[in-house]
Amino acid sequence: MKDALSLVQRISAHPDSRCWFVSWSPSGTLLASCGGDRAIRIWGREGDSWICKSVLEDGHQRTVRKVAWSPCGNYLASASFDATTCIWKKKNDEFESLTVLEGHENEVKCVAWAPSGNLLATCSRDKSVWVWEVDEEDEYECVTVVNAHTQDVKHVVWHPTQELLASASYDNNICIYREEDDDWECRATLQGHTSTVWSLSFDASGQRLASCSDDHTVKIWKEYPGEAGQGNLSWKCVCTLSGYHGRTVYDVTWCWLTGALATACGDDAVRIFKEDESTDPDQPVFSLAAQVSKAHSQDVNCVIWNPKEAGLLASCSDNGEIAIWRFHEED
Amino acid sequence: MSVGGRLENANPVIFQRSGERLMTASEEDEDVHDPIDDREIFDLIRSINDPEHPLSLEELNVVEQDRVKVNDVESTVGVEFTPTIPHCSMATLIGLSIKVKLLRSLPDRFKINVHITPGTHASEEAVNKQLADKERVAAALENSSLLEVVNQCLCTKSI
Amino acid sequence: MAADRSLLLSLVEEFVSGLQDSKAKDTATGVKEGQFTILQLVEALGPSLTSSQPHTRARGVQLLSEVLHECYGTLTEAEVEVLIAFYENRLKDHYVITPPVLQGLRALTKCTVLPPGSAVAMLRSLFQDVHVQSLMLAERSCVYNMLINLMETREAELKGLGTDFVFGFVQSMDGERDPRNLLLAFKIAKNIIRRGYDLGKFTEELFEVTSCYFPVDFTPPPNDPHGITKEELIEELRAVLTGTPKFAEFLLPLIIEKLDSDVQSAKLDSLQTLTACLSQYEHKDLAEFLEGLWTSLRREVFQTSSERIESAGLAALTALTSCLSRSVLNFDSEDSLRTFLDLVLQDCKHHLCEMDLKLVWPSAKLLQAACSASNRASHIVTAAVMPSLMDQFSSRTQCSHRRTLLEVVLKFIQSVKTSQPLDNDERVLLAFRESLCSMVFSALSETNASLQITATSMLTSLAQQTGLLLDSDIELAVDHLTKLVLTEEDDKVSLAVVECAGALAELHPEAFINKMIPRLKKEIFSEPMYLETNEVVPEKHSHHAMRQRSLATLAAVSTQPSVVWESTPVLLEVLSSAHTGSVNFSVEEVVSACCSLQRIAEQVQDTEETGRCFHDFIIPRLLSLALQASVQGEGSSGCCSPLVEETVLCAMVPVISTSCSRLQPKLAGETASKAVSLFLHGDVSFLPDNSIPSHVQLLKKHDSLSQSHMVCLLMGCVCSLPRNVEVPEIDQLLSQLEEMSCTCSHPLPYNSAAKCFAGLLNKHSQGDFLDSLIQRTIKRVCTELDSPCSPARIQAFTLLIWVAKALLLRYHPLCTTLTDKLFSLLDDADLGPMAADGFSLLMSDSADVLNRSCHADVRIMYRQRFFSENSAKLVQGFNAAPQEKKPNYLKALSNIVNKLPKQVQVTELPALLSLLLEALSCPDQGVQLSTLSCLEPVLIDPPPALIQQLEALVSRLLALISSPAMSVRIASLRCIRALSCFPEYEILPFRARVLRALAQPLDDKKRLVRSEAVQARGKWFLLGSPGGR
Repeated sequence: MKDALSLVQRISAHPDSRCWFVSWSPSGTLLASCGGDRAIRIWGREGDSWICKSVLEDGHQRTVRKVAWSPCGNYLASASFDATTCIWKKKNDEFESLTVLEGHENEVKCVAWAPSGNLLATCSRDKSVWVWEVDEEDEYECVTVVNAHTQDVKHVVWHPTQELLASASYDNNICIYREEDDDWECRATLQGHTSTVWSLSFDASGQRLASCSDDHTVKIWKEYPGEAGQGNLSWKCVCTLSGYHGRTVYDVTWCWLTGALATACGDDAVRIFKEDESTDPDQPVFSLAAQVSKAHSQDVNCVIWNPKEAGLLASCSDNGEIAIWRFHEED
Repeated sequence: MSVGGRLENANPVIFQRSGERLMTASEEDEDVHDPIDDREIFDLIRSINDPEHPLSLEELNVVEQDRVKVNDVESTVGVEFTPTIPHCSMATLIGLSIKVKLLRSLPDRFKINVHITPGTHASEEAVNKQLADKERVAAALENSSLLEVVNQCLCTKSI
Repeated sequence: MAADRSLLLSLVEEFVSGLQDSKAKDTATGVKEGQFTILQLVEALGPSLTSSQPHTRARGVQLLSEVLHECYGTLTEAEVEVLIAFYENRLKDHYVITPPVLQGLRALTKCTVLPPGSAVAMLRSLFQDVHVQSLMLAERSCVYNMLINLMETREAELKGLGTDFVFGFVQSMDGERDPRNLLLAFKIAKNIIRRGYDLGKFTEELFEVTSCYFPVDFTPPPNDPHGITKEELIEELRAVLTGTPKFAEFLLPLIIEKLDSDVQSAKLDSLQTLTACLSQYEHKDLAEFLEGLWTSLRREVFQTSSERIESAGLAALTALTSCLSRSVLNFDSEDSLRTFLDLVLQDCKHHLCEMDLKLVWPSAKLLQAACSASNRASHIVTAAVMPSLMDQFSSRTQCSHRRTLLEVVLKFIQSVKTSQPLDNDERVLLAFRESLCSMVFSALSETNASLQITATSMLTSLAQQTGLLLDSDIELAVDHLTKLVLTEEDDKVSLAVVECAGALAELHPEAFINKMIPRLKKEIFSEPMYLETNEVVPEKHSHHAMRQRSLATLAAVSTQPSVVWESTPVLLEVLSSAHTGSVNFSVEEVVSACCSLQRIAEQVQDTEETGRCFHDFIIPRLLSLALQASVQGEGSSGCCSPLVEETVLCAMVPVISTSCSRLQPKLAGETASKAVSLFLHGDVSFLPDNSIPSHVQLLKKHDSLSQSHMVCLLMGCVCSLPRNVEVPEIDQLLSQLEEMSCTCSHPLPYNSAAKCFAGLLNKHSQGDFLDSLIQRTIKRVCTELDSPCSPARIQAFTLLIWVAKALLLRYHPLCTTLTDKLFSLLDDADLGPMAADGFSLLMSDSADVLNRSCHADVRIMYRQRFFSENSAKLVQGFNAAPQEKKPNYLKALSNIVNKLPKQVQVTELPALLSLLLEALSCPDQGVQLSTLSCLEPVLIDPPPALIQQLEALVSRLLALISSPAMSVRIASLRCIRALSCFPEYEILPFRARVLRALAQPLDDKKRLVRSEAVQARGKWFLLGSPGGR
């Protein structure tokens, strides 16, 4: 391993609490974090360091589990254990609460904007995935409730270019949905993990999907267009990364600039994997390019590549910290 | 907590409590490092109250020192607990109480696994999976009625 | 007269029309001073009372009533008669007049000259014309007070009203809501029941109107000015409900119903009410409810998770059984006790066969509760359960089962009711004697410790049942105990065995004299077996442990004088054999023998006989042995007798002082003069074994260290005598002791001499001699202390402390000179820290001298007095002291405050808090520790001053949890745990910070610190969390 991951900065972001999730704004200039203290914090770069620009409190009654930026960067959605999703609108440097989406029976675990910015997906412990439509007046309307999973749904993610949605669940499966006659339907169920699937990430092209799980593995799934009939989709597992992670893998992120894959793990480590260049697309090989075993003093919950600055990575942990890393590749 | 008036297992087997840990001279010696050992972990959980009986988990043999494993160097703790009956609906709650007690009492470097003793409960896998899911544990502890029951299990009773 | 009349008219005018309330008082004064009579007042009120305006009439009546309140004692019977007629009439008037009318009537009920029949008339009008519950609170209270007053003085008349009185009262209180009035109403109802008023057909009404408040559910409002508590209401209502068996048919179903409640306090109240009513009831009152009551009681005891409910349920069962037992004496037609106990046995007995299931315990407790109710109940229950328990004990093999059985049987033995048996038939356990004995002896021979320990308790209980065990049983028991003393290595077991032997020896001394003591003696004097030069270490160890146990047992069994005569010679022989070397005893064993002697001196019954034993025999022997050893030690250079060891001498001191403190005056006087002549003149004539050279000089400065050590025994002899015993030649004795304490170079003699000096000074009679003696000593001490290079500064300091203590205890005025000197030494470069520690000695009880059991002159609250006289000096000294000396002041302060009673600490704390907080940040670990230990108890019930300084307190405590000293870490964590009990709103703001800080000691390298951190953190987590507090 000649490549290295070096620490840029460590921030105590949610003291006395967990930091559950971090998310870069589309321009890569702002980082949003959320946690068990029910707050969302927005971080921006000043000189060499990242400082807190604003704190969004009073939006939620319980843990804020995830945050998501709209593709335009002017809206922020937050999913909370209080069963609501909050939409925040950016005004100058401040954020104000725009609307609260209610409907899930209990904890909302994830929220994601579609690339168009017109659709929003949420998922919950109530086993359902909801798709919301946004109009010009900032009105949100639920267009579909899909119950494809048999257990709580941990994560939702949109395809980078198409209106295609993927979800990961406690039932060990991944579902892929597509709109069909004004209705969203599950078009593929990806089975293979042997325990909870915690997170998903598409590659830049959207042809491949990485998933990570409580079974200590990461899997790479590839679409095989047209192989399944009746409007269904065909995704197959082409690679399993096992033996690297000592505990649950909580997050995986695929860099759309470099193709590097990063993981967040319950063994406190952050790892970077790179795809071997000359491999068979149906049997790709990924190898460990860098790892920091004690990236945090507790579980690492989330990793995310900066969308604009190649090699810039953010992670966060149960100890309330955010860490910013830089990944140097050996030429 | 009122468990619907009738107890699921009205007449459980009860076991003797182990005595207090005997103090050794080295424990009073400033310079000696006392590693965290199985007995120390067991002492943390043995006095947890059962949610439905006025008895401790030790007296009901739900926890035993032999089913506690700690590795101080690698910062891992494993606890197996045995519900009094295979269909005990309190199993998750008991496991949650053990987990919370350990989370509050151990340095945060520790990775804590709480499981049902293999083969002793009808829904063993489901309960284990729930207890291992930290997101669900975190959400459960934000539910005030559940937290209330857990706290009551963790209150040291004045006898 | 005319002037008086016009004054009266103007007072009436100003009160009625002018609305000047103060005029009522003036009018009352006029009546009391005889300026005008009540009837003249009524006359003067005429126009107001006949006014067409109700408010004017009301005002007029109010004036009269207020005057009556002041003057009811001066009224004549004729006046009262007129007034009652007047008021009765007014009750029919407009409603605004009712309140003052009631006030007036209430005043009249307090008159001693109430004409016959007027009480009845008054009440008839009241019940007829007034609807009490539509009155305001104060008027309702007025009515209740009238009833209470009349019930006190006119009981016969009221009873003449028959059931009308009860009915009238029931109507009056029906619907009452105010807790103050309820207390009054309950009092009336209680009087009605207790004093035998005729309830007639209104029994159920009276019950209904009171029982509707049961169980009491009342929370006093915050800042309640009336101070009425829920407990008061519960007590009063309970007295009403349980006051008469006539309520039984209504109360018992109500209790059964309320026991089903989910509210714990309602359950508890119901159980306690049941227990209370059963003492009034007979079996016929509860016959039809027995099954229902039993079902409820059983459910509560089987299922509860609250110890209070459980014990209340058991108490109710005992009361119920005892009620049925009482009735048996009167009703032989139907044996309701047996029927009831059959019910209990049927539900509980089978659980006694399931030794490892939960219900074995509640079942046993229920049966034991029933068993303890009466002798008959004991017979029935034990006959039913004992055979099966004993069968199981012999058939079961699992240790835990056998232990449970043994404990269950033990509790049965303890709960058996022995009602001064007239003949053997009454002795409940007689039938089981043999099996019980074999059960105990078999358990004693097991290898399981807890089984053995339970067996010793059972043996004690059996022996305490008078007339149960035969002599042969006792002898067998003594054999078993002896064997265990000699062989049992488990500490807990041997402790239990020793305790059991002590209890049995008190009841059966002969068996111990004949069997145990000779056997123990033989084993104590046996030598361990050694294999050539290589000592077999484990065997040596076990032989030593056996000796220690035997020595402790000798002490434990010596409570009866006859035993003491046998045991003490053995112990003394240990000392003499050790001294001569005829048997090898280690120093530790010799010390144990002394400890045993001391324990005997402490616990033996105070008789002439035992006094003689100590005076004639033990004290001279001890002195003689010690003296021989010290004289020998001087001569031979080689091996020494263990009796010259400091630890041995120090162990002899309490033997001597304890026995001297309990001597009869004559013997005490003799001891004093013998000891003095020994130490002053070397008179050894009273010592046994006269091989000692006469004219030893024990108090003179000489080279023999071992002889100067002897002075501690002098202290034992003369400092613990009763105060009226005169010590001969005291002047010379004191001057030699002073000399020795100031010049001797070895700590034991100079300390002992100083203590002995102080002990004598404390008891010396007041007067010029004493004062000049003290002044001489002060001068000498100060001279030494003031010369920095004196070699005897520490000696002088020691004498200073002890003399100061002796004087402080008896409030001697010269004490201040000494304590001021002590304060000034806090700045001393060498002695400063010692001076600070000296305050601890000054404030605490010392073990061997100057304490109450040594008959020292100890005034009450001397600590508080010292503190209040000196705390300001200390604060000033602290402020003036240079930085490096400040810790001495803080340490002195914490030493003083530490020893103050808690109430004083709490009141003094506000003034000292800033200093104590400063002490917490003082780098000296001793100061930190002592301050923490004085804070911890105060934190349990924190004074407001402390709460105001919470921020400073929390910060300092949190800083100390990373102290390098584990004792400081532990103490500060304990304080932090105690903080969690402060009012929640005060400490909640600190929760996150404390939890964060407490995360670190969870990973402390010391287990003891971690365990404190876990407890403190657990408490703080529960704070403000649902179900937490």
